[in-house]
Amino acid sequence: MLHRRLWLFAALAILPTLAIFAWVRLFPIVETLRLSLHKWDILSRNKPFIGLANFQELMGDRLFREALLNTSIIAFGVLIVTIPLALVLAALIHHRTGSRFGPFNESAIFVPHIVSLVPAAMAWKWIFDAQLGPLNALLGVFGIPAQAWLFDPVWSIVCIIILCSWQALGYAVLIYIVGFRSLPESVFEAAKLDGATGRQAFWHVAVPMLKPITLYVSVVTLISAFNVYAQALVLASDSQGAPGRQVRVLVLDMIENSFRNYRVGYAASEAVVLLVIVLSLTLIQFGLLREKGRR
Amino acid sequence: MTTYAAFTHALRRAAPAGAVSGLVTAALLATASGAMAQTITVWSGYPELAPFYTHVAEGLKAENPGLEVRVEAIPLREHERRIALGLTSGSSGALVLEMPGSTAARYIENELLPPAPDDIEAFVRADGNFNEFFIDQASYQGEVYGVPLFRGQGALFYNTEMFEAAGLTAPPATMEEFTDYAEKLTVRDANGNPTRSGWSMRLSGGGQGIAEKFWINLHQYGGALLTEVEDGKWKADFANEAGRKALGQYLENVHTLKTVTPELPADAEAFEREQTAMFIRESWVVGDIAAKAPDLPYATAPLPTGSIALPAQLYVSADGAEAEAAWKFALATNEPENLIWLLDNVGWLPNRVNVDYSPVTDAKPGFSGFLNVPEDYVFFTLPAIGPIEEVLTRLAARLVEAFGNASLAGDDAAIDAFLAEAAAETNSILEREGLLAQ
Repeated sequence: MLHRRLWLFAALAILPTLAIFAWVRLFPIVETLRLSLHKWDILSRNKPFIGLANFQELMGDRLFREALLNTSIIAFGVLIVTIPLALVLAALIHHRTGSRFGPFNESAIFVPHIVSLVPAAMAWKWIFDAQLGPLNALLGVFGIPAQAWLFDPVWSIVCIIILCSWQALGYAVLIYIVGFRSLPESVFEAAKLDGATGRQAFWHVAVPMLKPITLYVSVVTLISAFNVYAQALVLASDSQGAPGRQVRVLVLDMIENSFRNYRVGYAASEAVVLLVIVLSLTLIQFGLLREKGRR
Repeated sequence: MTTYAAFTHALRRAAPAGAVSGLVTAALLATASGAMAQTITVWSGYPELAPFYTHVAEGLKAENPGLEVRVEAIPLREHERRIALGLTSGSSGALVLEMPGSTAARYIENELLPPAPDDIEAFVRADGNFNEFFIDQASYQGEVYGVPLFRGQGALFYNTEMFEAAGLTAPPATMEEFTDYAEKLTVRDANGNPTRSGWSMRLSGGGQGIAEKFWINLHQYGGALLTEVEDGKWKADFANEAGRKALGQYLENVHTLKTVTPELPADAEAFEREQTAMFIRESWVVGDIAAKAPDLPYATAPLPTGSIALPAQLYVSADGAEAEAAWKFALATNEPENLIWLLDNVGWLPNRVNVDYSPVTDAKPGFSGFLNVPEDYVFFTLPAIGPIEEVLTRLAARLVEAFGNASLAGDDAAIDAFLAEAAAETNSILEREGLLAQ
């Protein structure tokens, strides 16, 4: 009887939280799934059911395909840049924890993550500016010709990868530092006794033991990078036009279809595709890292 | 179009302000009885217009001390999204909304914007206030829904000192001359790369502006992105000789003559910093130059055959007493004193005809290229059809790719193939929406 009452109390206590979670997290997902099967222009009361027509149209939509390709390149680019770099930086910072610059190092790495996105992107836009940017000025010192970073189809994507990685790095390093600090000292001492160098201990001891952290950081980084939007928008936008090449990404395409083209059902089908991609990649990451972790 | 041309001529020989202010004043007095404590919000898509709306609100304050006007002016694309979300959610309070008729049509069709009350309709239709073109733009199926305010109209801005230095004594009169002039006006470094563009063209960025600017050039060659073939039915009309010439000119300037490149500073900012010799833009640049580069030696000139004219109206989304206050505000924007202030301080061209703007236009010759246009000057505007934004945005994305494709330059067959593919996409959008002409 007491057990049942406790269970009831626990259920009632958690109910408001569950209700809020369902309202703000589950309902929008279900509604997006529903909308993706309808034709809706955001203004009309009519939302005729059209089955999978939105998805069929998506397959032939060159702007969607371009957005999907760009977003995937950016997301994996950010992942490839961020994870190894964060791991190495975290190891270096952890190694120098005792130094008087330790707190400064941690803060300096983390600051980009908390800086407001738009001003940060504006600053990077200036850095990449073909005419006035310091990057080209620096390259000029070494005799390297100036590049139109924000206008070239390839470089403009690389610029977004750099910007996103710069922002994601701080968080990843922070999590890795926590991971390093939780590793037992005894394992490293044992490795040292066995004659392992610092580099060998890092590679053969720390990296395998940090796999759960790597899993978490890579999932968060990948999901975040697939949702890239503001970076692409700011690097290509200007109050007076002629600013930079608009790198089309999925979220940008969705917003354009929703609020410029008034095709909310169509945009919802894009959101469903993005959801499926991110879910699939997350499951694959979980599978890969857990499988290897067991070996 | 001819009625619109007549309007611009009427504007130049406009009546004295004092003689026509009576109608607005009377309308204001007629609605003043409802002035209680109310809050209305003005949503604008042009940040430079915020001081204008604030000026209008301050003018209303004297006789409406209880009226609070919040002015929220943000960039156009965000403004469009805000309207879509705000009107459909119905949670934005009493709003005065600034938008073109082509955008408003969607909301009116879905009963999200109410028709104007009788006194506002009477003001809009009153003889001599507005040209028929603007009354049409503010109306839907014969009923007035908005108050005409200003318009975006293109003209050529050119740096007179740079022209003089290049031995050019008059602005270009044909599109062929535009290219010739651009070549003469371009400044290059030792390697031949341009450091100052001869003619700043819109080549990159996001949104439909690229397609609109392309349409302006296309218009000079007698083409149009869309043509209404029968009542309410449209088709793409740029996969032809006019389209080839317009796109060919872009490509020639970017890739063959290199009078402009995407990465060179562009637009009004570049013109004000003397980083480009000429460009086509709306009249707000006159106000912008006055504020940011008052010593800039420049003049304006009409385009060879005609220009875009994008009128913006004020619409209201509110109920009861707040609606009354919102309409009163919309009406107050059209007081002669406020319109003259708008032209003088912001630079957008007011649409009301029977106001004497000469104190401003005489003092600021920069408006000459917008007002002193030939009798046969032909204007066009964006069609008020649902998918117009999608048509322009998708075409803009294709144009950016084309402008960057050097292999298209000088290859008429490749240009034709590009235009045919782009026109097919435009027509498929029209077909999906049941708007394609057979």
